[in-house]
Amino acid sequence: MNLSLYAQMLKNNAKGICSYALGSAFYIMLMLWLYPSIAEHTQVMNDLLKSIPSGITKAFGLENGMGDLESFLSGEYYGLIFIIILSIFSLMISTQLMARMVDQGSMAYLLSTPTTRAQVASTQAAVLITGLFIIMAATTLAGFAGNLLFISDPGAFHAGNFLRLNLMGFLMFFALSGVSFLVSSVSNDEKRAMSISGVIVIGSYCLDLIGRLSEQTGWMRNLSVFSLFRPSELVKGSAEWTGQLWVLLGIGALFFILAVVLFKRRDLPL
Amino acid sequence: MLKVQRLSKQFANGRGVFDLSFSVERGEVFGFLGPNGAGKSTTIRHIMGFMKPDQGSVEVNGLNTWEKQGKVQKFMGYLPGEIAFMEGMTGRSFLGFMSRMQGLKDTARREELIERLQFDVNTPIRKMSKGMKQKVGIVAAFMHRPDVIILDEPTSGLDPLMQKVFVELVLEEKRRGTTFLMSSHSFPEIESTCDRAAIIKDGRLVAINNIHDLQQMQRKIFEVVFHNREDAERFASSGMLEIESHSDLRVSVAVQGNYDLFTAEAAKYKIRNIDIHTQSLEQIFMNYYDRKGNQ
Repeated sequence: MNLSLYAQMLKNNAKGICSYALGSAFYIMLMLWLYPSIAEHTQVMNDLLKSIPSGITKAFGLENGMGDLESFLSGEYYGLIFIIILSIFSLMISTQLMARMVDQGSMAYLLSTPTTRAQVASTQAAVLITGLFIIMAATTLAGFAGNLLFISDPGAFHAGNFLRLNLMGFLMFFALSGVSFLVSSVSNDEKRAMSISGVIVIGSYCLDLIGRLSEQTGWMRNLSVFSLFRPSELVKGSAEWTGQLWVLLGIGALFFILAVVLFKRRDLPL
Repeated sequence: MLKVQRLSKQFANGRGVFDLSFSVERGEVFGFLGPNGAGKSTTIRHIMGFMKPDQGSVEVNGLNTWEKQGKVQKFMGYLPGEIAFMEGMTGRSFLGFMSRMQGLKDTARREELIERLQFDVNTPIRKMSKGMKQKVGIVAAFMHRPDVIILDEPTSGLDPLMQKVFVELVLEEKRRGTTFLMSSHSFPEIESTCDRAAIIKDGRLVAINNIHDLQQMQRKIFEVVFHNREDAERFASSGMLEIESHSDLRVSVAVQGNYDLFTAEAAKYKIRNIDIHTQSLEQIFMNYYDRKGNQ
């Protein structure tokens, strides 16, 4: 870690981080604001969902129906929009922090000062993780604020479940951005890094989606990191999540460390 | 101070640098010349520790630049050939950031350099011209008073006045004992600063010459305009000089080193005007390579 670099990079990326954080926070507030009016029609919605094959509802995390606030949030927000926002953020910023600086050549300036490559790479990783943390913190806070403002039923929202959901969301993207950070650290070309990471992220998501559709394709889920983040089960408080927590933490740590090690050893076309 | 020992690096396309050795003494300004794609930048990348040599090593101040990356940089300054700064910064915020990265507290030198190069340091970098970026880069390379400064095409984009300021800056630092390695295309710049120069082609060192030898190699074309036609005629057919062309009153003579002969011949006639065309560094190389090839 290099504190001067960390502070400067955070400052340079502050705008991006803030806009994703605000976007995510705003969206979850919107969902909470809309929920009471949707709740009046939950019966209709649930009937509608029942008429859809169960594979499909499961694939999109809607198997809990829309009966209560937590199912609604986990299915409608954390099951889809959240994943899209955070995936885009992870892809963009991990590519910017390493591959782009090598591609454009500004990495030459960082490495012409008395800092080792390992320090540069781990600082950039720290900036990425800090960014993710800020977005998750904003989302979590907005969730609590939205609950206080818009939801009248005090039993509908459980702080513990909601925190767990966000913690796992954070770790999920910690792991995923570790993968794209690794790709970014070994790439000389920004666009190439972006497309490789993009294919990995979208591919994993599709594997998870297909895996959830039916029994026969179920094995595909095991190939995807997304299977370790199951919002609808997390809000229901089903037991199996501490194991997944450690796996996500392990995957993320492994890829970040690998990224630093490989970056240290490679030739840079600066 | 700077020592390149049997440095070899081959890329997938077969290019690279091969068995390169030279050393630069403390307080020496060393020119690094060669056509594009000859391996100048590759060598500089190895000196900066951006690449791992296949074979051989580069040492600065006794430290291996690949193995001790992060330590060596303490006493090095670097101006990249293609300058790319971080996005979204002004010249001042970038230089401030670089000072913090260098652990530099004293900003007096930085301000002095900005003053001398005369540019508006508060301009956002993306709005800067090539020359202005070059100035920011020069300040960043000099401001921490490093012992060794590596400059890749330092005056590209600078106007003649600023090129002069730059040359003064290099000579001043040289007097303080700073060691320089600079790659360049511009002969006046090399001529007025360097003690020795290496010529590199296709990744191999062709020669290391002191700068006077290079000056000897430079051919100059003297375009002489005579007062009357007969003089021009006689001058051109004297057989003593290498005549490039002759038309009417105008005779072009190529001179390489033997200025005495030229002035002695020319002094015999009434002359209206003399123009001098100096050969570019590239042309000198081509000459040099040709001669090497013929031997």
